[in-house]
Amino acid sequence: MKQFHVAVVLLCVVLAGTASSLAGEVSLGRTLYEARCVQCHGKEGKGNGPASTFLTPRPRDFTSGTFKFRSTESGGIPTDEDIVRSIGNGLHGTSMPDWGAFVGKDSLLALASYVKTFSPRFSRETPKPIKTGPTVPLSPASIAAGEKVYKKLECASCHGNDGRCNDAIAADFVDDWGYKIAATNLAEPWTFRGGRAPEDIYLRFMTGIDGTPMPSFAGSASDREMRDLANYVTSLARKPAWSMTAEELTAFYASLDKAAKSNPVERGRYLASSIGCAACHTPMRQDGTMMEELKFAGGQRWDLFPFANVVSYNLTSDKETGLGNWTDDQLKAFLTTGVRRDGSRMIPYPMPWPALAHLTADDLSAIVAYLRTIPPVHNAIPEPATPGVFTYLWGKFRVLILKEDIPIKAYAGNAGVAAQKEVQP
Amino acid sequence: MKKFLKWAAIVVGLLAVMGFIGFLWFIPPFSLVPPAEFSKPLIAAAPSTSDITDDAERMLAERGKYILIVHDCSGCHTPLGDQGPKYDEYLAGGGKGVFKGYGTFTSRNLTPDKETGLARRTDEQVNRVLRSGLLPEGRIAYHRDMPWAVYSNWTEEDRHAVLVYLRHLKPIRHNIPPDVEGTAGADPVALETLFGSDNAIH
Repeated sequence: MKQFHVAVVLLCVVLAGTASSLAGEVSLGRTLYEARCVQCHGKEGKGNGPASTFLTPRPRDFTSGTFKFRSTESGGIPTDEDIVRSIGNGLHGTSMPDWGAFVGKDSLLALASYVKTFSPRFSRETPKPIKTGPTVPLSPASIAAGEKVYKKLECASCHGNDGRCNDAIAADFVDDWGYKIAATNLAEPWTFRGGRAPEDIYLRFMTGIDGTPMPSFAGSASDREMRDLANYVTSLARKPAWSMTAEELTAFYASLDKAAKSNPVERGRYLASSIGCAACHTPMRQDGTMMEELKFAGGQRWDLFPFANVVSYNLTSDKETGLGNWTDDQLKAFLTTGVRRDGSRMIPYPMPWPALAHLTADDLSAIVAYLRTIPPVHNAIPEPATPGVFTYLWGKFRVLILKEDIPIKAYAGNAGVAAQKEVQP
Repeated sequence: MKKFLKWAAIVVGLLAVMGFIGFLWFIPPFSLVPPAEFSKPLIAAAPSTSDITDDAERMLAERGKYILIVHDCSGCHTPLGDQGPKYDEYLAGGGKGVFKGYGTFTSRNLTPDKETGLARRTDEQVNRVLRSGLLPEGRIAYHRDMPWAVYSNWTEEDRHAVLVYLRHLKPIRHNIPPDVEGTAGADPVALETLFGSDNAIH
């Protein structure tokens, strides 16, 4: 009996110890998360932090409990080790960096513990790792066998016959969160999110990429065939630009130019996303997040004293308040010289028209073509508020004579008038 | 005679006042300067790649140069003087921004200087900043200061081209003060305040 008591006490001590160490781990994870992760994933783990608006793909929404890169059955929750691997190695070809280069295993585990608290799935379910067979070394025979599996499983319908999506039947994919995504170009293994090793690729076939149209193929072919397929995908890799010879680079850049010319909207989308038009042409909230429903609709207010107080313009194709009634030439003139339709001039900051002036004619047309495709959003932008003569002179005096540094300021809130729906009858 | 002198003094005085007002109004005479005067120096300041002997490297650098120019890296990373950007210190850093709740940051020296510039950083360190905003010290840069979130949309190959060009810049010794986290600007309403340059580093 006494022994039983001792056992109970011991068990309690062990349990309490585990619970408190888990609590400690979660609290360390929270500290790390709030210091490093919130800019993209948001404080509540919804994947909607201030920077999330600009990222492709979007940061993971942890509250859904849906994880892309797992070693567990399709639709299931990941193991701790899966989450640690994603945080530690990063997700290649995305903004998720390899935190393992900066923090230790303890911190990665703590982060994983904290990330799990965002979804109730982790307290209800247990991860079910898939059963894996033996690895198959890379060989011409295995690659040839894998090619047959590629055909059998109809991988080409999304990834194309050559793995580069060119002749894919299916395109225009949307993920579970409603964002446009593309099938992976299998010739560019440096963009394989979960890693480029055959073992990593094999796991993607077996577990699927949850939240995306990539299903699990477990059961559709034998384990050996899946290993061969992974070897085949590995063999599709092309040379990256940084390893090319001058001749190869010439051909590569010519192919990029050709693709841009044949699809200027896509080229324009690429440039507009990396130049970051939306960063200024979308209003911000007080907490720094962007008002996504007004993406590209302008409304961010900037105080450029002693020059005009400006509100970023509505870039959507709305005829009344946006670019809908601007001609291509008017748009190009503004983008490259800062001269508005009415002939008024814009100072060379913050709209970087002096830099955009150096876009090639094709790229400039591509950006215009892309802007035309942005669906109209009504947001009436006020005219720039020019300061009075004396205010202007006083400002100039402070800058030129007193040598003051006058700050440029940006404010939260939509300074445009978007509230058509909210107008009371 | 006295009356004449008095009038002359008034005329000279008026001319001086008008001249001063005119000086304030027209100098720098922004509205009189053609737009090309603002855009041309951006390309003139960017070093040529023609001295790179390796053909492939030169082609990569050339593409990187184009990307770097149209994405206006120089807009924040070239120090500002009284006469606008100091293009002889191209991309040597020093632009200052204050972001409410995030901190006060100074744009870094992108030239390959061994002590103050990017020569201290590996390719992977620079790529991490451009791809994820993850600075070598382990902090994520604020995305409205250094817009890494939009640059993250570059393909890996375009990002590499930018890096090749950055390695080719003229090294300039320019020490940048460390970032200060969590300060607010003087204006309690503004989310961000940008100053031309941080005079403290000169």
